[in-house]
Amino acid sequence: MIEPLFESKPDHTIMYLFAKKLGFADQLVGKKDGKQNIKVKNDEPDIEDITREFNRGTWTIGYTGQSPERLQAHMRNMHVFDVKTLRARGGKDAKTGYVLDGDYFGLPWPCYGNAALKHPGSPNLYDTSKHVMEGGGNFRANFGVERDGVSLLAEDGSHSKGADITTGYPEIDHVLLKKLGWWDELTEDEKKEAEGKNWKTDLSGGIQRVVMKDHGCHPFGNAKARALVWNFPDAVPLHREPLYSPRADLVAKYPTHDDVKVLWRLPTLFKSVQEKNKEIAKQFPLIMTSGRLVEYEGGGEEQRSNPWLAELQQDMFVEINPKTANDRGIRNGEYVWVKTPTGARLKVVAQVTERVGPDTVFLPFHFSGWWQGKDMLPFYPDGAAPIVRGEAVNTGTTYGYDRVTMMQETKTTVCQVERAA
Amino acid sequence: MARMKFLADAERCIECNGCVTACKQENEVPWGVNRRRVVTVNDGVPGERSISVACMHCSDAPCMAVCPVDCFYRTDEGVVLHDKDLCIGCGYCFYACPFGAPQFPQAGAFGLRGKMDKCTFCAGGPEKDNSKEEFAKYGSNRLAQGKLPACAEMCATKALLGGDGDVLADIFRTRVLKRGKGSEVWGWGTAYGKPDNPQAKPPQGAKS
Repeated sequence: MIEPLFESKPDHTIMYLFAKKLGFADQLVGKKDGKQNIKVKNDEPDIEDITREFNRGTWTIGYTGQSPERLQAHMRNMHVFDVKTLRARGGKDAKTGYVLDGDYFGLPWPCYGNAALKHPGSPNLYDTSKHVMEGGGNFRANFGVERDGVSLLAEDGSHSKGADITTGYPEIDHVLLKKLGWWDELTEDEKKEAEGKNWKTDLSGGIQRVVMKDHGCHPFGNAKARALVWNFPDAVPLHREPLYSPRADLVAKYPTHDDVKVLWRLPTLFKSVQEKNKEIAKQFPLIMTSGRLVEYEGGGEEQRSNPWLAELQQDMFVEINPKTANDRGIRNGEYVWVKTPTGARLKVVAQVTERVGPDTVFLPFHFSGWWQGKDMLPFYPDGAAPIVRGEAVNTGTTYGYDRVTMMQETKTTVCQVERAA
Repeated sequence: MARMKFLADAERCIECNGCVTACKQENEVPWGVNRRRVVTVNDGVPGERSISVACMHCSDAPCMAVCPVDCFYRTDEGVVLHDKDLCIGCGYCFYACPFGAPQFPQAGAFGLRGKMDKCTFCAGGPEKDNSKEEFAKYGSNRLAQGKLPACAEMCATKALLGGDGDVLADIFRTRVLKRGKGSEVWGWGTAYGKPDNPQAKPPQGAKS
């Protein structure tokens, strides 16, 4: 761990300063009616208080047991954790007396209940060979209990080790807890808080404690994994040709989705773009894919501004198969134009290699600073230009979004490559 | 006393150039001078392998043998260093070196090369340990600080190891036993002498 360099500030200080500027600093630190959840010192919110705050607010995902005191005890006693299993073998924190035995290092998510429950964290999400209080678990009952007359719950006998319920069961709320006859295991205070609630909204943590500790069950239920995602446009993944496809026959056979008028608030085109471009391969016959070089990261702005790293890749390039290059009169190391359906032209160096097939070219996405053959150096503020500049591959990529996640297609399209005269 | 060696494991190198960058940063090596580089053979075809190459600090170093001004010396840990105040930039060491280690930062009229520069195993030069003068001429002296070379310390896959040759050999032997292949230690025969029985087969084990 290092102190922030130069003018850098801790993340939470930056967030607090922004909140102050934008006028909701009090809400950020939970200040109301003379109370304040998160202490602030020199504009830095207290990191322990922040941890307690998100512990309080994340009951639904099991992010509640990681109290600052437990995490600090782990940091002070790293030596008691087994390097392979990550589990503490014995050990007692000298400062607080906290017993570390059985905890997984850093309390990996999910870590259920409040800190007093002492859930050890879960090194694996699904592991029925362990008790839930030893980090075991099963699939969550998150999609109801049945569909089309078929039970979605786990089959009989499939449960995490030591569970009192050996069949599938739904997520647990106050009604089920009473039906099971477990309600009276709550303390009087917990009962008050848990009445009318489920395991996610019972802020006392009582339902989670009783279900996990007393009965070895999982508060989120015990169900099957879902392979049929009925709420997605394709309940099982089907092949659909990309909007810009190198194969018109495959577009006919595996067409994309219909256009959507409102997808996450936005009109989003699918079939109309694909139809318009189904013959695109006549002009742009090569698949253009882009990706990472192991020594660079993201847009490469940091690497290309650092002399030790900039020196490693001094030219934006395209990997092109010897056959593809020879057919186009391109030699290794020459400048070429990579042209894409948007009308963009990228001037890059040809790297002739068998790493790519004859129908594909590869470009790294770590460059910027050139625009369609021109170095943009004069437009950078003095001293701000990276040492090495080149065409940004996204200048050439085309329209397209994932039907479910709305993730944009910025990695792949089709192109043509020509020798730069 | 440890005999310092480098070991490049071609089965592990992912050509990330972390070693090159670590070297450049640690020793503030100028643009164009490559004390260490990653060499890739069969680039882009099946069987592609990469190895990290620098001065190997040979047992019987050819550079020492050919230097007309005798500027090289060997430390008691087997590290081959040189004195830039004596070097006349003739380039003989460059021709003699089987690893292409010697670098010549300057180019000028009449083939003027300037003082030779090369990997020091992060052990500086003849000046006082960790002095300003030593850093300016040779870079960092990590050995004097009880540390190993920055390149090997930085290697993410531990393909490049640097340190006591006996310890490296033990680590490598364990790896070869476990994966059952890749027993050829690149460059060791050239740098540190050929094995007595070059035909000896590595022990056969299960592939990892």
